[in-house]
Amino acid sequence: MDEEQDKLLPIANVGRIMKQILPPAAKISKEAKQTMQECATEFISFVTGEASDKCQKENRKTVNGDDICWALSSLGFDDYAEVIVRYLHKYREAEREKSANQHKSSSTDQDIEESNHKSSQPQQQIEAPNGIEFRVLDKGNSSSFKNPS
Amino acid sequence: MRQAGAYSGILSGGLSGKTGPHSLPLARIKKIMKKSGNDVKMISGEAPIVFSKACELFIEELTKRSWTMTIQGKRRTLHKEDVASAAIATDIFDFLVNLVSNSSHSMDNPVEIETTSK
Repeated sequence: MDEEQDKLLPIANVGRIMKQILPPAAKISKEAKQTMQECATEFISFVTGEASDKCQKENRKTVNGDDICWALSSLGFDDYAEVIVRYLHKYREAEREKSANQHKSSSTDQDIEESNHKSSQPQQQIEAPNGIEFRVLDKGNSSSFKNPS
Repeated sequence: MRQAGAYSGILSGGLSGKTGPHSLPLARIKKIMKKSGNDVKMISGEAPIVFSKACELFIEELTKRSWTMTIQGKRRTLHKEDVASAAIATDIFDFLVNLVSNSSHSMDNPVEIETTSK
């Protein structure tokens, strides 16, 4: 029983995302959350399959973020792909800055973590009444990685 | 279910804690990717992070469309059938059609954290 749940995304997380997008008075049945849990899990498998096929065709062993973006587009999720491309870009930028920082400075981990946390935090309120229009807020991740004085 | 922290090694998929907290657990996503049955060999560290976002978008879209069905039925509680109708009505959700018309989970009683209420 526990094993089965292990193969799905956690229902609490799924439920929370659902709740956030619905009007405050809306209710969600437990079965609806379970169904959504299964659908989201299937979504991952579906997109991964497409990305993985591409990697195999190109003789690459590792499925990376670009492959997933490509797969999203290929399967008709163009709107998601657009958002994800930007998201990935920012993530990579943050990663680069972080490793640049770690190389040259001897500042404490705490400092690096703090600035990382602030600026590479991609989570934000997503309000999209109609079409899927998400804005990834720029949290000023260009200069906050300098050594704190 | 809060993540243990932005830099929890288990949840963020790495000791260095690559980015801030995500709405879905990265380790679980990675597990699902590996089991997708396509002989997935290796997964880059950014892939589960990308999926965390993509799944969020997916859940949001399917939820909104499901809610439209709920409203059409003049109800205020989103039911499983609304999710099924929304999936069937949307082209890009074709891959879900078998899943939503076959859901067998209701036959068993999965172990849930939430209490069962009917």
